[in-house]
Amino acid sequence: MAEKSYRDAIRDAMMEEMDRDENVLIMGEDIGVYEGTFRITAGMLKKYGPKRVIDTPIAEAGMAGTAVGMAMVGLRPIVEMMTMNFSIVAADQILNHAAKVRYFSGGQVDVPLVIRGPQGAGVQLSAQHSQSFESFYGHFPGIHVVAPGTPADAKGLLKTAIRGRDPVIFLESAALYGMKGEVPDDPDFTVPFGESRVVREGSDVTIVSYSRMLQVSLTAAERLSKDEGIEVEVIDLRTLRPLDLEPAYASVSKTHRCVVVQEQWKPFGAAAEIAASISEHNFDELDAPVERVTGEDVPMPYARNLELLATPHEEQVIAGVKKVLYANG
Amino acid sequence: MPKMGDAMTEGKVVRWYKKAGDVVKKGEPVLEIETDKVNLDLEAEQDGTIGQVEVQEGQMVPVGGRLAMISAPGEKIEKSEKPEKSEKPAEPAPTQRRALDKKDSIKHSTGEYGEAMEMKGPRIDRSAPPAAPLRVVEGGKKRSSPLARKMAQEMGVSLDAVQGSGPQGRIIARDIKGAPARSLPATAQKLETKEIPLSAMRRTIAKRLAESTGPIPHFYLTADYDVTNLLLLRAQLNEIENTKFSVNDFVIRAAALALRHHPNVNASWGDEAITQHGEIHIGVAVSTPEGLITPVVRNADQKSVMEIATDVRTLADKAKNRKLRPEEYQGSTFTISNLGAWGIEEFTAIINPPNVAILAIGAAASRAVVIDKQVVIRDRMKITMSCDHRVVDGAAGAEYLKTLRQYLEQPIRLIV
Repeated sequence: MAEKSYRDAIRDAMMEEMDRDENVLIMGEDIGVYEGTFRITAGMLKKYGPKRVIDTPIAEAGMAGTAVGMAMVGLRPIVEMMTMNFSIVAADQILNHAAKVRYFSGGQVDVPLVIRGPQGAGVQLSAQHSQSFESFYGHFPGIHVVAPGTPADAKGLLKTAIRGRDPVIFLESAALYGMKGEVPDDPDFTVPFGESRVVREGSDVTIVSYSRMLQVSLTAAERLSKDEGIEVEVIDLRTLRPLDLEPAYASVSKTHRCVVVQEQWKPFGAAAEIAASISEHNFDELDAPVERVTGEDVPMPYARNLELLATPHEEQVIAGVKKVLYANG
Repeated sequence: MPKMGDAMTEGKVVRWYKKAGDVVKKGEPVLEIETDKVNLDLEAEQDGTIGQVEVQEGQMVPVGGRLAMISAPGEKIEKSEKPEKSEKPAEPAPTQRRALDKKDSIKHSTGEYGEAMEMKGPRIDRSAPPAAPLRVVEGGKKRSSPLARKMAQEMGVSLDAVQGSGPQGRIIARDIKGAPARSLPATAQKLETKEIPLSAMRRTIAKRLAESTGPIPHFYLTADYDVTNLLLLRAQLNEIENTKFSVNDFVIRAAALALRHHPNVNASWGDEAITQHGEIHIGVAVSTPEGLITPVVRNADQKSVMEIATDVRTLADKAKNRKLRPEEYQGSTFTISNLGAWGIEEFTAIINPPNVAILAIGAAASRAVVIDKQVVIRDRMKITMSCDHRVVDGAAGAEYLKTLRQYLEQPIRLIV
């Protein structure tokens, strides 16, 4: 184990897989000479050369479509979106082609493709560059949606994505790039898709979360334990599609109260899907409606103070926990 | 006369609230009508004055027929024949539209989409009258969380008796935890000793049944109880108390508490009257080397399971050492015989006179049972009640066994 940043964990995952399999390559805007807007690809052009680290024009649909074709004939392309917000330009390639090729080919053709990049708020990139896409992509069958909340998961899940047979939307939290954590050195360390985990055990309330909101939830849980004696069980979903809610169901059977925390907007968000599933599955176990803690329903402001107000923080999570405990007075 | 449902062709005027010349306000009830399904009030659709009332109370009126006229304020009251406005048929249109809908759907279903829909499942018959909309009555049913409802059911707590502490008075789990167990159905009357003179019918029943089967005409009722919770409770109590409880200790208490609701079972037969006893004394069959004897747990309904367990232990020891005094084995009002320890699944016991009933308790054992269409393993126990038909009829015995079920299957009631 070594302490690594989320950013370095992602780079390590890609370089280990490029060492392991010469069919793995990466393409994107400013990833080669400039070494990436978020410096994820630092040093990669030098090591692997321009055939495997490809600087593209500013043409997301073009690079996504090219990558779908590469994947169909046996390569394992990784496409870096400068931010996932730009992937909207490539939505047709991703949703109508990458997600459908196996189906349309009667199972004959796989698309082993990873589309990765940062998303979410917290780094003052304003309304067009701070959005979250898990419910957007999670809606469609045919693609996996991954949202790691720790450096180790970022590495393990990305390696699973690169080695797999399917198109994967790999959502990195821009605000977590600098976060450090223990990351296994084993080059064959991977984290399977569809295995949620209990990150913190507790008996009073279940929090279900993922990505950056996992860290916010854990901080809130520590504060609730220390200040109020409330023990929160925190579950990290890790992948939104496939979505493994079994640990959440088991936890809610124990705590009878549930808060789902997401950064994205409340309407039609991932938390809505999760809360509905828990209500369906745990109806007789619930002592309060499943609470959603989400971002404010506005375009993300650029101003630092407004951005802070528009994204969920520990205070909102704590208030949500107290609400389902009927402890708000 | 408005059309209140697709099948309605006419309606009856039940009573008039207003008479000719009365001033009415919009929304005020004018008359009550009766259809083949419901009675309901018809309200004025506008302010005005009741003009001519054309239909008498009790009269049938075809749908669309005129009931009365309401004149607008200031309008002259006429006895004209022109159709009145306020009581025109209420929305016949939806009925027609539904019929058209159906035709439309048939038309549209000629395509492939329609065929796919046909394959998917039966089409809903939209020509059927729509169900009456649900009405939520403010302040009716109390709000409660699903968990609270589940706990209340398991613990035998009535939600009516609980004050909710959640938003809008929602009853939540913590409200249930402190709530008292539901008081059992009304029959928990005060017990008193009384003689009920034999009626002619009762004499005849007694005579005929006695002639048929001997001095005491027995019949037998067997019920199968789910004692999973009872065995769990016993295991828990055995962990925390010094006394070791037997299943029978719980059965004695359950039987005694159930008798409080059925004084007709806690009784004796006499040639002139049936005596219902004012106290509940449970005879417990104990096997000794010399034979069977039934020492008595007195006022068993007023004793805790712990007290019953202590009594039974003491009495059984005395019985085995032949030290029971007559007052310790006489005067029972009801008897329990338990052969569960011998592995007997079910049996019938002979009534212990002057009792009129006895319970034969079988062994509690795990069995596969079907709950919610799933085969699950539950602990079950069979109890057969022998009844003296001169006093206890079949339904009366069955009622007793039903009450007993509430205690045995929700054993929390035995300790609270």
